[in-house]
Amino acid sequence: MTFHPRASTLRLASAGVVLALILLIARPRALRSDNFVFYLPRGHQVVPTETIGHEQYLPLIQVLNAVASVSGLQEKQKSLVVYVGSVHLEVHLDNPKVKVDNTQVALPSPVRVSNGQWMVPLSFLQLALPKIVPERLAYRAGTDRLFIGDVNPALFTVSLKPLSGGSRLSVEFTRPVKVKTASRNGRYVLYLGGQPVEPMEGSYHFQDPYIADLTFDDQDGEPKLIVTPGSAALNFYPSEAAGGKTLLVDLAKPGMPLPLQGTTTLAQGGAPTSGAAAPSTAAPSTGGEQKPASPAATNVPAVPPAPPLPAVVLDPGHGGDDPGARSRDGILEKNLVAQIEDRVRAALVATQKYRVVLTRVGDTDPDLDARDAVANVTHPVAFLSLHAGNYGNAGTLVGVYTYRFASPSTPLSPERLVPGFVLWDRVQSTHLERSRQLAQALQTQFATLSGTVALPPREAAIHVLRGVDAPAVAIEVGSVSPDLDAGALTDGGFQDRLSTAIAQAISAFETSPAKP
Amino acid sequence: MNRRTVFVTLAVVAVLIGGFYYLRSLAWRVFHEIQGGEESVHARLNQEALQASSGVQQAITLYFPADDGSGLVTETRQMLWAVADTDRIRQIVLALVEGPTKTHNRPLPPSTDIRAVFLTNDGTVYLDFSNDMLKGFAPGIQSETLTVYSIVDSLAANVPAVKKVKILLQGQEVETLDGHIDLTGFFVPDTNLGGTAN
Repeated sequence: MTFHPRASTLRLASAGVVLALILLIARPRALRSDNFVFYLPRGHQVVPTETIGHEQYLPLIQVLNAVASVSGLQEKQKSLVVYVGSVHLEVHLDNPKVKVDNTQVALPSPVRVSNGQWMVPLSFLQLALPKIVPERLAYRAGTDRLFIGDVNPALFTVSLKPLSGGSRLSVEFTRPVKVKTASRNGRYVLYLGGQPVEPMEGSYHFQDPYIADLTFDDQDGEPKLIVTPGSAALNFYPSEAAGGKTLLVDLAKPGMPLPLQGTTTLAQGGAPTSGAAAPSTAAPSTGGEQKPASPAATNVPAVPPAPPLPAVVLDPGHGGDDPGARSRDGILEKNLVAQIEDRVRAALVATQKYRVVLTRVGDTDPDLDARDAVANVTHPVAFLSLHAGNYGNAGTLVGVYTYRFASPSTPLSPERLVPGFVLWDRVQSTHLERSRQLAQALQTQFATLSGTVALPPREAAIHVLRGVDAPAVAIEVGSVSPDLDAGALTDGGFQDRLSTAIAQAISAFETSPAKP
Repeated sequence: MNRRTVFVTLAVVAVLIGGFYYLRSLAWRVFHEIQGGEESVHARLNQEALQASSGVQQAITLYFPADDGSGLVTETRQMLWAVADTDRIRQIVLALVEGPTKTHNRPLPPSTDIRAVFLTNDGTVYLDFSNDMLKGFAPGIQSETLTVYSIVDSLAANVPAVKKVKILLQGQEVETLDGHIDLTGFFVPDTNLGGTAN
């Protein structure tokens, strides 16, 4: 065999050009994989997800087997029919429309096939799965978990208090949770006893020298909280109070005697553990009580009662790439309403009457139908969409809006009218009277806020309200305008008063009789 | 490296450079020349609407958002009235784009461009705005509501043939104006938003 340097160079150059073209044209299809957890009355199932394009997909057969039992399959080259009990599901490759018995359901993204598996977008869980399985399904858009049947997840709220020489993280659950702790790579893992937990937020970041962040994770099907200490070599004191409903985590400088009266140390070992330098392993609980380090240590906050509690859905507007309104001093509507939502949620939970469900978590922007879907699977007593907008130079004010259809004469094609069904984009029409009562209850409370103008309730064609199958209003604070500073709206005192007023209004509304 | 390799390498480089410049010129044509052509058509249509005068001076009532955002206030101005209803509609929207003469708020940013106006026999106006309508627009429930009804109420007050209005952006039906107000429906005039003469 003879070696030809010219031919080899030529081949190399050609291969390089072809490779460059392939890299230029071809897009990576599957970018990353995560897990999705199905919580069932009999346990849980973990199903891997796949990101195709920019959409998260689930393997269809694994999903159906997790929540029900597939009794038959008919697979063709470009279509698949699956039998689940007496229901049959038909999907077609690259087609967003799926058929459940005789009902057609349009998904926002098409059905795909990846590595020989039929893949459906996450929206399948909200739009099609409820038609296939008879059990109640609770799924919050944007999350990676679904609760089936009688599974009622525990909820929790988080607060942080400074202590002398350390910080105390307090996690309050809606029912007792059996916690075991471990140390992994300089972080502390708090296993929540395997029972289903629904986090309000995926992670909490703190501006604190002792605790950097707290993250919830159940990707392996085991719910746990992961505490990242602010720096290495901090002592870690986990303990529980209020019969297991409150989890207290103290992180402190070595040598600071912190632990508490009325609390029980957790399965971590009697001696405090050093941080990253010498992580400990889990050990049996001592069950012993310890003396309080400071008066603040005994101040255990009230714990909300166990579910089921009526739900209130909070919808902080915008998020992600959509900042909403922007003020002269750079305040973005998406951040402002997230701050307000945080306080409203705390005020509602403090009443011990409600659980709070969010339509978006963190800086994301679910589409408007997905926000409505959160409400429609939750069946809340109220849906509040939070906004901030431009009211010119009118001072601090707050307005409440109910939905109004742009025109009663809006044409509706006959094929969209199905007897016995209410159209998704018209379902709010069945709750308008109750929505008006809710708006009035809110306005009555807002009118008591000093230094704030409470506008009378109004009607507007607010898109996010039209598909909500519950009493629904939008609350807009102002003014967030490019010509004005919005500083007053970011004031914690104002936000607290507003949130308390909202919580009181919800209580008053819920107990008020529905007008015929 | 022999002459043939040099020649092939140079040829590949020349093809790549040629391709890059071709794509760049194509992009320039698509994004500048064609859009520029569209803009000149809109400008000509607007000019024709403003010049297609019937010779009649008409007192026009325009609805502008009040400066405290509480509702709409009216402003009356004299205008050389066009002959056709679609030209009159265009005149009114252009007057709204021009803005108020008093200290009211602008309903539409100055960059707003009307791409097309249609008036159907049942009194439905289709107003097709360019995406420039959203440049510098301050979004919000109240501000978007006032923008929509400043258009709808101004048209209904001056052109009796107008019964309802459908707003399109860039030739398409859109879900919302700027994140809040539902534009999938048809808007009828709303007299509850004020309209106090000021």
